[in-house]
Amino acid sequence: MASSSRRAVITGIGVLTPIGLDVNSFWQSLISGKSGIKPIQGFDTSGLPVRFAGEIVGFEAKRYLDKDARRGLKVMARTIQLAVACAQVALDDSKIDKQKLDPTRFGVEFGAGLIASELEELAEAARLCTNCQPGRVDLEKWGEQGLPNIQPLWMLKYLPNMLACHVSIIHNAQGPNNTITESEVASVQAMGEAYRILVRDQADFFLVGGADSRINPLSMTRQCLFQTLSRRGDDPTKACRPFDRQRDGFVVGEGAGVLALEELEHAKRRGARIYAEVVGFGAAFDRDLSGAGLARAIRAALNDAGIGPEDVDHVNANGFSSVTCDVWEARALQEVFGNCKEPVPVTALKSYIGNLGAGSGTTELAGSLAALEHGLVPPTLNYEEPDPACPISVLSGSARPVQKSHVLKVSFTDVGQCAALVCRKM
Amino acid sequence: MRKRVVITGMGAITPLGHSVESLYRSQLEGKSGVGTISHFNAARFPTKFAAQVKDYDVNRFVGDSYRWKNCGLNTQFAAGATQQALADAGLADNEKVDRNRIGIYLGCGEGVQDFHHLVTLIAQSYAPDKRKVETPIFERGGLREFHPQRELEQEMHTTTAHLGAYFNLGGPNYNCLTACAASSQAIGEAAELIRHGDADIMLSGGSHSMIHPFGVTGFNLLTALSTHNEAPEKASRPFDLNRDGFVLGEGAGMLVLEELEHAKRRGATIYAELTGYGSTADAFRVTDSHPDGRGAIACIQGAVKDSGLNPAQIGYVNAHGTSTQVNDRVESLAVKHVFGEAARTVAVSSTKSMLGHLIAAAGAVELIISIMAIRNGVLPPTINYETPDPECDLDYIPNQAREKRVDHVLSNSFGFGGQNISLIVSRFDN
Repeated sequence: MASSSRRAVITGIGVLTPIGLDVNSFWQSLISGKSGIKPIQGFDTSGLPVRFAGEIVGFEAKRYLDKDARRGLKVMARTIQLAVACAQVALDDSKIDKQKLDPTRFGVEFGAGLIASELEELAEAARLCTNCQPGRVDLEKWGEQGLPNIQPLWMLKYLPNMLACHVSIIHNAQGPNNTITESEVASVQAMGEAYRILVRDQADFFLVGGADSRINPLSMTRQCLFQTLSRRGDDPTKACRPFDRQRDGFVVGEGAGVLALEELEHAKRRGARIYAEVVGFGAAFDRDLSGAGLARAIRAALNDAGIGPEDVDHVNANGFSSVTCDVWEARALQEVFGNCKEPVPVTALKSYIGNLGAGSGTTELAGSLAALEHGLVPPTLNYEEPDPACPISVLSGSARPVQKSHVLKVSFTDVGQCAALVCRKM
Repeated sequence: MRKRVVITGMGAITPLGHSVESLYRSQLEGKSGVGTISHFNAARFPTKFAAQVKDYDVNRFVGDSYRWKNCGLNTQFAAGATQQALADAGLADNEKVDRNRIGIYLGCGEGVQDFHHLVTLIAQSYAPDKRKVETPIFERGGLREFHPQRELEQEMHTTTAHLGAYFNLGGPNYNCLTACAASSQAIGEAAELIRHGDADIMLSGGSHSMIHPFGVTGFNLLTALSTHNEAPEKASRPFDLNRDGFVLGEGAGMLVLEELEHAKRRGATIYAELTGYGSTADAFRVTDSHPDGRGAIACIQGAVKDSGLNPAQIGYVNAHGTSTQVNDRVESLAVKHVFGEAARTVAVSSTKSMLGHLIAAAGAVELIISIMAIRNGVLPPTINYETPDPECDLDYIPNQAREKRVDHVLSNSFGFGGQNISLIVSRFDN
């Protein structure tokens, strides 16, 4: 039987973002208004209508891992490499001594998205099995000659659960292990679930987060086909402008955010630095994309935390910079916070780094955790012209001092999955 | 007291029929759903057979045909099984129940990649001398040839979004994908959401199809699939000495989980109670399970502890039983370790011998079979069990269904990467 007195606190932060590869440099970039949105350098994008993104340049996973763990890198796609490197950063930041940690009480939970195959890995097989007919592979040749020309472990390199699995293997984490695949909301759902697992006494320590990298030829092509991406290629740093009237679409980003989540007494016993306590979580589905479901998720999280809307210092918004999604997000925020005496400021950190997909929630949350540490809330970048359709008080221009102890992280997908998480400065 | 969670609805689309009844009946008859692959030409693949869902048409189950048209089989199977489960629970269009208190937590697989266009585009844009794809050629080709909606439907959050929108379910909406453990994990965590009060009812289960060129390629490369091409129906032979790998299946299983008092108040039929949930990781290797069953043992122990039962009360184990050398040996070891003396008498079977391996959907379908076994008092067999393996020495209900009253059933699911989930369902006892 779970003991309801158990509490969960965040004792480590790891981020790998286009504007910083640890929480301090990430914070410095946020507070100095530095955008990470640039022309893509990793590959030639000249066939695409959108050629900019929040890309991490110069990431080398092996710099983060010890010799044993490095051996596994060859079976890890870039997304997985970002996840394992970021988990190492979070673990180092928590300063936990793994030897003193019960491996069966050490859980891992990640949000993950689809991982695109590296095209070259299929190229030899592809060449053998097509005869220049678009859309027609000779399957008999593929089965006979193509298939043996692909690396045996090819599939394992791209399975979404491999983020959490590799992290568990590297760190001998034998506790609960889950991978949530609900796109942008995934890592916040993962946080909510890990928080509940800790509270109900099935683990003492968790690495929780998300990672995503869609800055590759296949994923970018797919995004261009089905996502309304910003076309502001002439001025990429201005492209991601959540809630601004001139916003014109999503901006793709890549990166990872991983947090060490720990049971409070466990953290206290080892004298851990505590960034914040997780005190509330809620989730819902917004069927009509009206904001009603998102408002339910937010209210559920506030109720779970036992606080009212006026207790929230700031909202760390989802802020896609999407023409439509920002409107229903604003409607939900208005519905919950509209009656507060003082407007509750809203900041949207995708404006700096773009949309990190399954990695976005926990990475953005790290911004608010840093805000609690530094006593300053970073503003939304590129918020220049208020949109009457988004009647919320967007924090812009300069940072604002933290005034209250609770922050709310809002996260959702453009098809309606919603989640909200409340953290409290201890 | 923690809240009790019961099952009040079930639905299944499987290689053994498009309903729970036909699935269970076929299983008792020992029928195999395995045959030659017809979804694509697999004649020259190392493995040419699988357990396919036959003659499925999503429009026979749900309206709004436009919604499902470009979806993968994962979503189409999920829609049919969900319709059955919600109708079975009296929730299909029951507006007296607060739809915002009904959530979804699935372990649903990804959609299917556009194999033909992707592979031909790679061939067209590859420069062998540089050993590199000329990306602008690939990009222009992709923009021209990929179907935007079908590309979107591959994304892993689309299935639960379609179900939430179509069936008007406004509660928490989740999908996890932990390989072969996914739908069992979804059910375990869905029950926890109910216990915490996030929802009164959760639709939970899974859906998956990997019977496509990339799927079979990937598993063949890992040498995980059986290659008994001469006798496909005999290929899935869990615990048999001559097993040589698993057989790919496809389909969906959906369950309606409900808080007990809520179910009673609305007079719902209660099929069983979900009493135990265990979740662990091997933390060993991405390809192999831990040779001593470390993670599997802790997982089964966790579920037993969660249920408050002792192993001797568990009358039947619906095994993960994939028909791979390692899984079946390690799973037998783990059952023996946890059950001790009781391992001699507990009945164990792998229904994958008939259904194949539904990957992410496997656990949910197998839990449904477990519930049917409790309700009907007949346990499905392990078919193709011919030559005992000295390392697998439990009672595997060989080849013939068996009449036996069981009150508690353990269902195991173990996935690539070392993901372990065990669930226990029990006869409902007020």
